[in-house]
Amino acid sequence: MTHHSSQVSADLIWEIARNQNSYLVKRASSGGVRFSRDPLNLTNVHSRKYAGFVNDKAVGISPAEGDKGGVTLITKKTKHPQRPGSSVNKVTFGGSKTTRKTYKGIVSSTAKSGYRSDLRAEAVARASAIRLSQTPKKDAPEKKLRGSKAKKAAAEKDE
Amino acid sequence: MASRPTVTILSADGSASGATHPLPKVFLSPIRPDIVQTVHTGMAKNKRQPYAVSEKAGHQTSAESWGTGRAVARIPRVSGGGTHRAGQAAFGNMCRSGRMFAPTKVWRKWHQKINLGQKRYATVSALAASSVPALLLARGHQISTVPEVPLVINSSVFEGAAIAKTSGALALLKSVGASADVDKVKKSRKLRAGKGKLRGRRHRQRRGPLVVYDPEVDGKELARAFRNIAGVETSSVFALNLLQLAPGGHLGRFIIWTSAAFKALDLIYGSTTIPSELKKDFLLPSPSVTQADVGRLINSSELQAVIRAAIGQSRTKRAGVQKKNPLQNKQVLLRLNPYAAGYSKEKIGTKGLDAGKPERAAKTPFAKVLKED
Amino acid sequence: MVSAKKHVPIVKKRQKRFHRHQSDTYKCLDASWRKPKGIDNRVRRRFKGQMVMPSIGFGSNKKTRHMMPSGHKAFLVNNTRDVDLLLMHNKTFAAEISHAVSSRKRIEIVARAKELGVKVTNPKARVTVEV
Repeated sequence: MTHHSSQVSADLIWEIARNQNSYLVKRASSGGVRFSRDPLNLTNVHSRKYAGFVNDKAVGISPAEGDKGGVTLITKKTKHPQRPGSSVNKVTFGGSKTTRKTYKGIVSSTAKSGYRSDLRAEAVARASAIRLSQTPKKDAPEKKLRGSKAKKAAAEKDE
Repeated sequence: MASRPTVTILSADGSASGATHPLPKVFLSPIRPDIVQTVHTGMAKNKRQPYAVSEKAGHQTSAESWGTGRAVARIPRVSGGGTHRAGQAAFGNMCRSGRMFAPTKVWRKWHQKINLGQKRYATVSALAASSVPALLLARGHQISTVPEVPLVINSSVFEGAAIAKTSGALALLKSVGASADVDKVKKSRKLRAGKGKLRGRRHRQRRGPLVVYDPEVDGKELARAFRNIAGVETSSVFALNLLQLAPGGHLGRFIIWTSAAFKALDLIYGSTTIPSELKKDFLLPSPSVTQADVGRLINSSELQAVIRAAIGQSRTKRAGVQKKNPLQNKQVLLRLNPYAAGYSKEKIGTKGLDAGKPERAAKTPFAKVLKED
Repeated sequence: MVSAKKHVPIVKKRQKRFHRHQSDTYKCLDASWRKPKGIDNRVRRRFKGQMVMPSIGFGSNKKTRHMMPSGHKAFLVNNTRDVDLLLMHNKTFAAEISHAVSSRKRIEIVARAKELGVKVTNPKARVTVEV
């Protein structure tokens, strides 16, 4: 079921909200780049394809709550668009699950079951990026000194 | 849409009260951001008070130009002597203690007349937009815990001034899932940048939900209960204001209706065929398209039945592939020019014209005819 | 930190600045570019040996426009929420911390950027301690 009114469609909502909405982040640099904070936006790019709040079906992937890692898959329910309180499905893939199984789970519950198959690659890429961000990071190697500073350090070492 | 959609009416604890109400026709009217924006800009100007600089400012001196020939600019200069002021330039907007450029006047056109039809259209449009969750989200309302949009609370909750205290109002907002939006407003309160601080506009904050009630059924006490909650505004359903329905000209205000107010909407606005009972000569605007979903229109069986098949075969455009030169690449040449195969096979290019000598004009049949007489 | 996506070499057609005509003659005249408008102006008329005027021909390749030498484009961030936007773009965008951000918040931003593999163009500003 779509909206109560046949006057309302995703096309119309996009035309109303594309220039100004609460998720939009504009910057003057880099030729006026536009990002989106929408949790249902897989790439954070402000565009019709990825705008989750506009489209009837949308996929979002965010870090799972808690500090154990893992990702949460969010999909929009199409049945009752008028009920924002119960409009999304959430599935969490824990941090201990292998990434391959996570991707498989994400793809099988979205693209493979006929739900936004155009977003398959983006969904996997986002899940991958989030999982990668949850791994511990190495410290950057100490900078090698050059020129007179290096000589000075060497001299100090010799003493 | 065969059956008219209905909206559940919530009870005080946020659960469905069991009662429903058919969706008032206002919510099916066309959403026109262009009309809402122009009407909003006009209406927002109607609360302004005139201001201007003093009529005399910058002109309280008897300055006269010295004219040409004194090797100074021809700007008026303060007359007299014995003070530093004498001989200084005056009046001009570029002068120290001169008047400003085009001094502001109290008779500026402060207010805008807006046609009644447009105002009504804008209000109706903003109401329709308030029932679209996507537009509420786009405006920035936190509605992820709200059970349904439009959000209607049973009027029995307000009966007999039951909600006359702010604590009661807060509890109600929490139970219907609107507390997130109220919290957002509370957190957003910031000191205003600039001089506005001194002019009664000290803080900026977001807008929260708008509570719309019917004063005859719900009483007016609830307005007092809600008025100290940051961002929450109240309005009688009979006096809805576009500045509240679409703040900043942006569609999609989060509205909390009492059931009495919700029921009154059909009476106030009528429908596209039944005139409004309270507004003179008013019918709801009819939509110019019955189906606004372009994708559904294109894929509808009615359209698919009458359109011609696409010309040519489907082919994907290969982006990022190097263009081949047909003069050097035989296969690409053959694709462009099928004659090239025979041309090279027969070696037509190297044959040359084997015509021999041209025929003498005197020996042609034409010369014979010419000489006959 | 992730290095930038492979890209065509960045070619700057001109590295020098465009100076305003006669800004070298008068110290009251700022060097920032103003197009000469005079009827007899020799720079405007493009006489031999005069200053060159900026024109569209000096523009960079669209693919490398706004690019820093590292191959990233700068994206101004004020808080960690802004850094999160670059999660999927750490090969094309680098975070640049806005100048008014405190050192405490800068540390948070740099830490978050490290988690996400986002390059920060000014990680040391305000936070370096005196050795």
